[in-house]
Amino acid sequence: MKVLLLLRKDLLILRRSPALLGVLLAYPVVIAILIGLLAGYANAKPRVALVDEDHLPATIVLAGKSFHVDRAIDEVAKNVRLVRMSRSQGESELRSGRVAALVRIPPGFLETLQGLVSSPHLILETGSGGITSRVRQQMQALVYNLNLRLQQAFVAADLRYVELLRHGGTGRALGRTFDIIGFAGASGLLRGLPRTKSVRELERFFRDAQLALTLTTGPIKATATPIVLVEESGRGRSSLLGAQVQSYGLALTITFLSLLLAAGSLAAERDENVIGRLARGLVSLGQLVWAKVLLAAAVALALGVTIAVAFGIAVDAGRVAGGEPWQRLPVALVGTLLAGASVGAAGALVGALAREARGASLAAILLALPVIFVGLVPREIVPPAGWVSDAFPFVHAVRFFGSALYDSAPWGTLLREGAWLLGLGLLFGTVARAAARRLAA
Amino acid sequence: MTPLLAARGVSRRFGSHLALGETDLEVRPREVLALVGPNGAGKSTLLALLAGALEPSSGVVERRARVGWMPQRPAHYGRLSARQNLELFARLEGAGDAAASLERFELPDDGRPAAALSVGNRQRLDLAISMLGSPDVLLLDEPTAALDPRQRRRLWELAGAVREHGGAVVLVTQSAEDVERVADRVAVLQDGRLVYDGDVAEGVALLA
Repeated sequence: MKVLLLLRKDLLILRRSPALLGVLLAYPVVIAILIGLLAGYANAKPRVALVDEDHLPATIVLAGKSFHVDRAIDEVAKNVRLVRMSRSQGESELRSGRVAALVRIPPGFLETLQGLVSSPHLILETGSGGITSRVRQQMQALVYNLNLRLQQAFVAADLRYVELLRHGGTGRALGRTFDIIGFAGASGLLRGLPRTKSVRELERFFRDAQLALTLTTGPIKATATPIVLVEESGRGRSSLLGAQVQSYGLALTITFLSLLLAAGSLAAERDENVIGRLARGLVSLGQLVWAKVLLAAAVALALGVTIAVAFGIAVDAGRVAGGEPWQRLPVALVGTLLAGASVGAAGALVGALAREARGASLAAILLALPVIFVGLVPREIVPPAGWVSDAFPFVHAVRFFGSALYDSAPWGTLLREGAWLLGLGLLFGTVARAAARRLAA
Repeated sequence: MTPLLAARGVSRRFGSHLALGETDLEVRPREVLALVGPNGAGKSTLLALLAGALEPSSGVVERRARVGWMPQRPAHYGRLSARQNLELFARLEGAGDAAASLERFELPDDGRPAAALSVGNRQRLDLAISMLGSPDVLLLDEPTAALDPRQRRRLWELAGAVREHGGAVVLVTQSAEDVERVADRVAVLQDGRLVYDGDVAEGVALLA
């Protein structure tokens, strides 16, 4: 009962402090937007040095087809920004990290390519760690796209040779021009010869060969491109309404708000000099701590409802398929309560240790930022980041919300992450209760 | 006569600093006890220990009566109004009437946050909060510092009333005039030690 009285008092104080409430609500939203922008930057095209030691001309002709080199590279290099530079400059920028990789076109590249006898090599030099694996994948994609365009040209050239074989005409290969009569011309010549057994067998062979060459067109195309990836856009959820964005948005906002609120309001009891009054038997320190945990949970719930409803409306308005924005709302709200309480308990610990409200708020921000950033690092890339983030409620809240709103079979994850949130809340709350003795000292 | 409050070998440390050495002090019915001494002598610490706002580092405090405590610094929620503060503490105490207290202590009831009230009004609000549980023993830490003469007179009337009803008042003060006016007994603290516990005239002489 006394815990509820304290909770009511804290909510009343919040209501009478609109500026503070506004800052508390706006600040995490601003941070969420900044992190969104940062995530966008992380997806930006890495800068890659292009060193042309073969001095490719502006336009090259391959298999009878002209390629404008820079335009072709621009069209296929969708995920990297290629910057032409000398080899020494490229290597210097690679060492200093100003470019993520260096692609070198060695001397003789074009001659080998046009010779059609062996495959020319492109040399890729990368740094180590960081985004190297992403750059490597993007360069592989670039070479794949270039090969695809060249394949189309080569297949067209091959098909032209097939047509030459069938109908005859003038062709060019390995730098030499030649004239052939083709099967059609050869058949005409055969018709002018006496009808011997050998001539009849040659006529049958020409017929079969022409039929076989006619049927070759499709298999040549299929062999060049066994699998074709066709992209259909507009069927997935936009990144802004994505499950991950909503889960991170909810967890981030609750983490900031609950941590700051619980830490600041507990330390404020000392600033207001009321801790002595309360400690005289009116309220135990435990009740005081749990009242702050409840305050954080209550405000997180209110905020969670607002964010989840806003997302649900946006998803509905955008007629976006996938996810359960309304059916799973009650489960997500249980998550906001658990996350708010768990983070609030950590905040109460910060408030008890900091002893005064300004110091507690600063300490809460100093704690929230690394906890959030370490939670954003994929554990597959940096496993220790995963172990550290497991010790704080943020990452468990992210997983809970993601599962609650979008998993088709969420219950296992919900139970596991709910247990983590509850356990961490109890642990932080118990330590905060012990640390709160400092407030009364 | 059984004391209403008694400190038995009570001491208090803040880290390595000894704020109050082992002290024995009794507060008896129908008396006003003045705690006097220079700054930093341990008066406020002893009062907070008697009130239960601080835990002693050693010794015990025996309480046989309801205790009201008015600390030296304002001790209420600055963002809440006087009425909201009184309502909250009345409910926590399980006793007292906020509206009656507002009237009795002539506190403003205009919804202003307590932090926006004058220093004198904030001191009266603290006094009103400390009186909510109808205490038998009233512990006052420099209560007249910001009060005008009229409010000061009313405070002494209040202290007199508590004493008349069989209770006691413990008063921390630096004012010899206040001691001579209202105290029945004087305890003098110096450097965290109780150096005198006796009649008013001798205590005031020590204070000088």
